[in-house]
Amino acid sequence: MSETICAVATPPGRGGIGIVRISGSACQRVARELLGFIPSPRTAIHTDFCAPDGETLDSGIALYFPSPASYTGEDVLELQGHGSPIALERIVGCILDQGVRLANPGEFTERAFRNDKLDLAQAEAVADLIASGSAEAGRAATRSLTGEFSLRIRELDQRVLKLRMFIESAIDFAEEEIDFLGDTEQQSRLDEMRSLVEALIDRSTAGLTMQIGLDVAIAGAPNVGKSSLLNRLLGEDRAIVTATAGTTRDTLHGDLSLDGLPVRLTDTAGLHASDDPIELMGMERAQTALSTADCVLWVIDDADENLSTPDMYRGKTLVVRNKCDLTGNTPGAVGKTEFRTCALTGAGLSDVCEGLKQVAGFRAGTDAFAGRPRHIAALKRVDDALSQAAKELSVREGELVAENLRVAHESLGEIVGITTSDDLLGEIFSTFCIGK
Amino acid sequence: MKFPTAFDVIVIGGGHAGVEAALASARVGASTLLLTQAIETIGQMSCNPAIGGIGKSHLVREIDALGGVMATAADKAGIHFRILNNSKGPAVRATRVQADRVLYRNAIRQAVERQSNLSVFQDMMVDLTLQSDRICSVSTRLGMEIEARAVVLTTGTFLGGRIFVGREQHAGGRAGDPASVELAEKLRSLPLAAGRLKTGTPPRIDGSTVDFSKLEEQPGDEPRPVMSFLGTREMHPRQVSCHITHTNVRTHDIIRRALDQSPMFTGEIEGVGPRYCPSIEDKVVRFAERDQHQIFVEPEGLETTELYPNGISTSLPFDAQYEAVRSIRGFENAQITRPGYAIEYDFFDPRGLLPSLETKNIENLFFAGQINGTTGYEEAAAQGLVAGLNAARKSAGLAAWVPQRHEAYIGVLIDDLTTMGANEPYRMFTSRAEYRLRLRQDNADLRLTPIGRELGLVPDDRFKVFTTRSKKLEACNEALSRTTIRLNSDMANKLSKASGERLSKDIPLLDFVKRPAVRAEHLTSAGVFANTDESYLAQALIDVKYDGYLRRQDQAIARAKDQMSIRLPDELNFREIDGLSNELREKLEHVQPRTLGNAASIPGMTPAALSLLSVYAKRYSGLRKTA
Ligand SMILES: Nc1nc2c(ncn2[C@@H]2O[C@H](COP(=O)(O)OP(=O)(O)O)[C@@H](O)[C@H]2O)c(=O)[nH]1
Ligand SMILES: [Mg+2]
Repeated sequence: MSETICAVATPPGRGGIGIVRISGSACQRVARELLGFIPSPRTAIHTDFCAPDGETLDSGIALYFPSPASYTGEDVLELQGHGSPIALERIVGCILDQGVRLANPGEFTERAFRNDKLDLAQAEAVADLIASGSAEAGRAATRSLTGEFSLRIRELDQRVLKLRMFIESAIDFAEEEIDFLGDTEQQSRLDEMRSLVEALIDRSTAGLTMQIGLDVAIAGAPNVGKSSLLNRLLGEDRAIVTATAGTTRDTLHGDLSLDGLPVRLTDTAGLHASDDPIELMGMERAQTALSTADCVLWVIDDADENLSTPDMYRGKTLVVRNKCDLTGNTPGAVGKTEFRTCALTGAGLSDVCEGLKQVAGFRAGTDAFAGRPRHIAALKRVDDALSQAAKELSVREGELVAENLRVAHESLGEIVGITTSDDLLGEIFSTFCIGK
Repeated sequence: MKFPTAFDVIVIGGGHAGVEAALASARVGASTLLLTQAIETIGQMSCNPAIGGIGKSHLVREIDALGGVMATAADKAGIHFRILNNSKGPAVRATRVQADRVLYRNAIRQAVERQSNLSVFQDMMVDLTLQSDRICSVSTRLGMEIEARAVVLTTGTFLGGRIFVGREQHAGGRAGDPASVELAEKLRSLPLAAGRLKTGTPPRIDGSTVDFSKLEEQPGDEPRPVMSFLGTREMHPRQVSCHITHTNVRTHDIIRRALDQSPMFTGEIEGVGPRYCPSIEDKVVRFAERDQHQIFVEPEGLETTELYPNGISTSLPFDAQYEAVRSIRGFENAQITRPGYAIEYDFFDPRGLLPSLETKNIENLFFAGQINGTTGYEEAAAQGLVAGLNAARKSAGLAAWVPQRHEAYIGVLIDDLTTMGANEPYRMFTSRAEYRLRLRQDNADLRLTPIGRELGLVPDDRFKVFTTRSKKLEACNEALSRTTIRLNSDMANKLSKASGERLSKDIPLLDFVKRPAVRAEHLTSAGVFANTDESYLAQALIDVKYDGYLRRQDQAIARAKDQMSIRLPDELNFREIDGLSNELREKLEHVQPRTLGNAASIPGMTPAALSLLSVYAKRYSGLRKTA
């Protein structure tokens, strides 16, 4: 039997309401001690919360959820008071006196998971929720928590299972009189599944980026306005800006939130031929920042005719033509990956921000999933296997279509749990009349 | 009375498992006794007279590659040969043989009689003696006590068998044979988990009363395949056709009306039947929308007119069977020679077995065949071979040998049984093999004969044939990888013409043959491999074609090996592992996986749960070391 745990369930410093949650076998004892009675299950009761010496600590709603019909699957008691930090602390103090201990972060969820109240994907989503810094990531985590991610994956899993059922039965029960799927039907099912997977990858990648954010390096020749851009984007004078080339010698960082998307900006030393040892070191650091960034803002002077694009970097490159006030060109997006700006006034910067959101796969407000790297990796393997299956289907290699679908199914299984060949056979037998 | 001689290994039962067990044990040099109720029924095909089929012929070829008798007996007795899935890829192609029952039995009996180190004795085992959880002798109905170092039990459906025809029921093994009731009781008293399973057979029909002109004829394949690596067409007896007919709406009505007389529906049968081999009454009920079901009419032999109508297994009362049969096209005047029946029998949870097929609780006692919850001659024979081999090895103090999942269907069979158990009679399907692309009929000898030779299972004559074959294949592979097609050369032009594939530059022949349209006959007809047997070339091309997939599977196999090498301590308490869902915890408790690899194959298992297990396994072994 595990220990009873307790914690304040509402964020600190928030007025209005304060919830203390207790989970474990000591709930009834705590209720008798603080309320004087055990509330009837799942009914909101208004009552005083009292210390053992009879002093009233707060008053509010008490809710009791006996095991197993509770969030954690254990007995759960919830006390919803007025939320003054002092009252909450005293309530918790009284509860701890009952041999209850403070919960670790995420421990309620962990118990819920252990008691089969959540599946793995949901539990991981809760973990993300707890860890998530921004409100947007919080929303993405909530959607997975309510099971939408699980739901989508399961739906996909079912589709793969169904198609495999047809393809495997055409192999193992070739002699039976059952309706196998034609090539065109198989093809269209594969196509459907692929677009589902790809949408899932996009949404999960977006969710993941919302949590870990986007690493952006600002680079270009000296004096084109890189540091000015950094300052403008941050809304503060982080970097020293002068008319002298080579002012920035070291890399500089600044954090920024674009509608909840965490962005880490790095300003770098201007790249040019030099033999100043300090500048060379700065440029070396700049190169490192460039090679690890998710996105490079490549700044040039708008007056510059020969557009020198940078080498290929790991991340995506956006070209920023700065100082457009001097050329008289209109600020704003020139193409999907090219922008005109004036770092002095900030004109055109909102378009650059939109560009960064694009690179991050940012999806306004709604449908990102709290993807985990391993989910995304698995989904990419599913996508590869499905596209390989489609290729084999076009040259009519049935057992190789089957092999690729098996691999796809196995990869999905890494998220929702494996489907064995026996499960697959079960599906076949319950669908088709097989057997002599 | 003590039997005058003691043996290394006694095999109980002369069915397909028993025969391969006895032969394998004797082949590797153990003094072996085959104890059977009736010598006449050694090698008897008690269900339908066919060997092989999809997934099953894969097993047969593996048994053959390990020196077993099933494939050669099928070649000697086969009266109808077909290749199944011929239009599909080589990995899923299979061979099916209709066998003459008498010829098959004779071929098996001959092999048993000619095997050195093997004696046969006709008597019924009724008891066994244990010495501190180790078997040391068996006792027979005639009061004989026979001592042995190891015993292999292959008693099939005889164990506690009950036969049902309508509401009639009686104790019995396969029609006509007595059930082993005493032995069943004795075994049930041992620490083994018993269960009941069920299977059925159709009524047999007198072919002289069938109007074949109304049936669809299905001749055997030409060119005719062979089953064994040693098989030749010259071994085959005269060939005959099979036929196909169907049930119809009237048949289904008759069956529906008689359902209240069916022991399956009245609840008299508690055993679970196979979902892939339902009785006709099951089919009519579960797939009510179908207005016909296919029946394969299989000849029972060359010297008999009796037919086996495969597809209408039933336990309905005889009058309903009679009426239903006569409602079928071509069977209007048919006479039933033996009624169909359902048989319910004991089996023991195969999760109580080690992979060597030795029982975990009674040392030196091995189980093989239907007693482990499988169905089918091929599945039985495969287990028999493994159990016989390992009983002999155990009696000689040697470690067990069991093929792995990526090495053989036999490995898949044994791993499935010993880790998942049998919820229904277990039958092999190719979809059970995740390494299906490498577990093929064509390469069973390449996979298994060398190790079989090492184990002593493969005699000289077979090994010689193998060596010749593998040398030719090697030469073929070498030539394939050596040759480059030069643009506009004579070879290039001939190959393009034969295959319809264009060439735009010089390319290695190996790359050219990877193109889906290119087949072995294109190479031979273009004269590229003029003096190579096309069958060798075709086989060499399979590995080329599957190359990318096989390499990816190699990685998966390496991963699985890693997992297999992580042993889960026997004392590991799954209840104590935080973070496992209750569902998985229960499954783990039930399966008791021995390694992380075993755990990985449990339905619903996730990587997160596996990593938890490995963490605990590590933590546990760490604790043990310091303790
Ligand atoms: N007119 C104009 N001047 C700019 C603009 N952006 C930067 N500058 C000036 O260009 C000079 C160099 O700017 P700085 O940000 O230090 O360039 P860096 O070397 O690329 O970091 C400074 O004098 C800035 O005031 C712009 O958009 N328009
Ligand atoms: Mg600067």
